[in-house]
Amino acid sequence: MKILVAVKPTFDIGQLKFEKDGTPLLDACPVSLGEADRCALEEAMRIKERLGATVAAATVGSSEAHYKAIRDSYAMGADEGYLVKADDPWKLDALSVASAIARVAAATGPYDLVLTGSGAGDTHASVIGPMIAGILGIPLIAGVDRLEVRGPGVVAGTCKLEDGSYTYEARTPAVVTVTSEANAPRIPNLRAILRSKGMQIREMSAEELGVDLRRLEPLSVRKYEIKRKRIIYKAEDQKGAAEASAELLAALRSEGVLS
Amino acid sequence: MDFLLSEDERRFQESVSEFAKRHIEPRWIEIDEKGRIPLELIKSMGDQGLFAIPVPDKYGGMGGTVLMAALAIEEIAYHDPAVAVAVYALLNNGWPLALSLFGSEAAKQEILPKVASGDAFFGIGSTEPQGGSDVAGTRTVARRSGNKWVVNGEKTYISGVREIQELPAGGGFFLVSKAESAEYGHRNMVDFALLPKWNGKMRDGWKPTVYDDIGRHGLSTGGFKLEDFEVEDDLRIGDVGKGFYLLMEGFNIARVLVAAATIGSARWALDRGAEWLRSRRLFQGRPLASFEGISFRFSELYAELEAAKYFVYRAAWMIDKTYLENPPRFKPKDLNVPVSLAKMKGPETATRIYEEVLKWLGAYGYTKESAVYRGWLGTFSYTIGAEGTQNIMRYIIARDVIGSEYVSHTG
Repeated sequence: MKILVAVKPTFDIGQLKFEKDGTPLLDACPVSLGEADRCALEEAMRIKERLGATVAAATVGSSEAHYKAIRDSYAMGADEGYLVKADDPWKLDALSVASAIARVAAATGPYDLVLTGSGAGDTHASVIGPMIAGILGIPLIAGVDRLEVRGPGVVAGTCKLEDGSYTYEARTPAVVTVTSEANAPRIPNLRAILRSKGMQIREMSAEELGVDLRRLEPLSVRKYEIKRKRIIYKAEDQKGAAEASAELLAALRSEGVLS
Repeated sequence: MDFLLSEDERRFQESVSEFAKRHIEPRWIEIDEKGRIPLELIKSMGDQGLFAIPVPDKYGGMGGTVLMAALAIEEIAYHDPAVAVAVYALLNNGWPLALSLFGSEAAKQEILPKVASGDAFFGIGSTEPQGGSDVAGTRTVARRSGNKWVVNGEKTYISGVREIQELPAGGGFFLVSKAESAEYGHRNMVDFALLPKWNGKMRDGWKPTVYDDIGRHGLSTGGFKLEDFEVEDDLRIGDVGKGFYLLMEGFNIARVLVAAATIGSARWALDRGAEWLRSRRLFQGRPLASFEGISFRFSELYAELEAAKYFVYRAAWMIDKTYLENPPRFKPKDLNVPVSLAKMKGPETATRIYEEVLKWLGAYGYTKESAVYRGWLGTFSYTIGAEGTQNIMRYIIARDVIGSEYVSHTG
């Protein structure tokens, strides 16, 4: 079995600081391999350990964090690592990234499974996996909390949704996106970290892959803030309290807090 | 001069932080309450490679460095500010490294893999009822008998006495003793790997007791008597007559790691303090941090913590350049002052930070509901002693900087 895991470094939003005007200080924010991507890698490692597999990790971007993402994938147990070189990777549009990963899959495969995190911890767009499946023309199971290989050529993914759990089967090759709830990804020990340093990362260029990398130019990026409205509903007596409560409930309903 | 950690060091630091956050932080209060570190946690730390970090691969270690061990201990203490788990881990890194540097090949092959895997513990057995600082006054005596040594004596305030009885393989201590007679002085000393329980079996002649400490409850402190305890000559660490010097070298390694534990715990306390100064609002909504009487004190403590941290990192780095690099960049005696600075500064900074943060928290800080007191009591232990008292650190610095002919502690 051959598995490709698409990974990317993500900003640790919990540690993101902002200028007074709300501009995010991205340069000062820690960046690390995304949580859901690590869960996708963990699923790949579990399949490798159970059934035997070769696991490759791929990322798009030339920042130090992108190289580290591949080395971290190696430390978790990946066998091969591919890095598509791209400056300014944070501005790449999702379709370009998905196209690049699809081209890596075509150039280094064939793969039975392409795994990735169901959504990145910073952008939360959740589109890379579906786009890869669309480009490659293969089935997709998105947002999987439990993944199993059910026999030659068949995978099943269980997704927890609001009204219950759904299990979908797909024929391989398939794309599966894995949530950050799927597992507790292994933490590499020092020996694995030191070993990963010496492993070769295969660099590829967009030209070599025949992919056009496009970038978004955001007009502005600001902190998302909900201003407190500071509305006070006053009541002098019991009757007033009942009226104030009714007004408060109506206001909460109109804001969509209560339905 | 490069103050940045290498990528390997940073990645290792991140991995330990994640492990500690996932496996230690949720239970550190329970560990302090119940007074023991669960054996399965110790085992999982062994599986994660958190013991014997600087010990070579061929003995089951991680093949890392003392700086990496210090970073790991600091992270563990950040997530276990009462420092029981951190101290367990630091002993199980420092003394195994000393054994790997000075022990016989047979002892290293036998002991170190089990320590690294978390199945055994290897700490230090030095202090005696009549004193800890006066190592030349050790009264435990080892007498040679054929291919064995017969040891008699008593050790007190030893960490890990209960744990070695409970761990599957057992473990023991880097034991310092006198060879043949208890005559005062440091020239007739010899060290051993004392293994009261090994491969699951208790040995005869070891009579342990466990004390009731006021803090850092998760790790036991106890004592033991040795009554005709037999030790194979293979377990002798270094030559007869070198015992004092090898112990001091081992202390230098362990002292840095003790300091690392205290700064990790102190960083936790100062982070809790900063959170409080941001969120607590008084006098019509002003955050506590806006009062300079408090925020300036924060800055002073932050500076002390940063200074202590760099003392620790420098001393750990120098130890690596002394023992793990060939040819060595420093001699063992070059480590005395840098290590003593770290060991003096770390615990004292930690308790100062705890005292201040407790005050910032007001009456809440004095309740048992606030966990801050646990870190205070845990780190306070290291202002008393452990791998050398604070005054011994001061003595070493004065002796080596002013000159030993002016600074004498004997006769």
